[in-house]
Amino acid sequence: MSGESARSSHENKAVLRVDAGPVGPPVLARVVAMMLARAECPVDRLDDALIVCDAVSADAPAHSADGHVQFTIATHPRRLELRVGQLAYDGAKRLLADAELPGLGSVIEPIADSVRIETSPRDGFEELVIELGFEPALATEPQGDAQTS
Amino acid sequence: MTAEIDLELPARAENIAIVRHAFGALGEVYGISEQRLSDIRLAVTEACTNVVVHAYPDEEGPLEVEAKLAGEELTIFIRDRGKGIVPRPDSPGLGLGLPLIASLADNVKLGHDDDGRTEVQMGFSLRDRDDELVGATR
Repeated sequence: MSGESARSSHENKAVLRVDAGPVGPPVLARVVAMMLARAECPVDRLDDALIVCDAVSADAPAHSADGHVQFTIATHPRRLELRVGQLAYDGAKRLLADAELPGLGSVIEPIADSVRIETSPRDGFEELVIELGFEPALATEPQGDAQTS
Repeated sequence: MTAEIDLELPARAENIAIVRHAFGALGEVYGISEQRLSDIRLAVTEACTNVVVHAYPDEEGPLEVEAKLAGEELTIFIRDRGKGIVPRPDSPGLGLGLPLIASLADNVKLGHDDDGRTEVQMGFSLRDRDDELVGATR
């Protein structure tokens, strides 16, 4: 039981689709923060994840294939995967370039554990895939289970 | 002002909080008053809770939330791919969810969308009762 419980709280997946308006960045940040909190992500890494979210969500609509952006957020026991799609041809690379700060360069790549671009063989649209690893902040075994053993 | 948000999550109790937070962000961006936002979030919570409790008795399924803002009208759709809205004598709840939604929203429709998904549609005017445009009060 405790294994199933821990798995359900750590593994989660949300698909957020937004238009080009101002609501995308704050909604994405809230969703990611809640999911990472559930996954027991430590605060410093959660902060990193929100920096990445801010960096990609503000400029993503400009590179989307249809004016909408789909963020697929998946949390695993020690990892966050954020997918940004559907981006037009070369849109993922341009989005990464837009996220660079003058004098500092990329803010995404130093924070993320991996950044890659996937291209759909069906329609040629791109997806930017960013992964962040973390060590859980808390013990995963509930106290109640420990007392009953 | 216009906006569209679609959010799909597994229909789990823990994910209702994520939906509530998403609407909190929407409220901040568009300056929806705290009172109106509270109504919206409560109605959304009730509709999502119905999905979590009733839609998928035997397996996990999706909870789909769509919000469309057009001018001063916010329309929210809560959808699932479960067994539909049917009487349930063994319901663990008090049966107050839908009446509560109806009292909070300006209009409510229950039914199915074109894809056969069970749908609760709720409409909210972003004007206060005194007909002043709801704006940021903080």
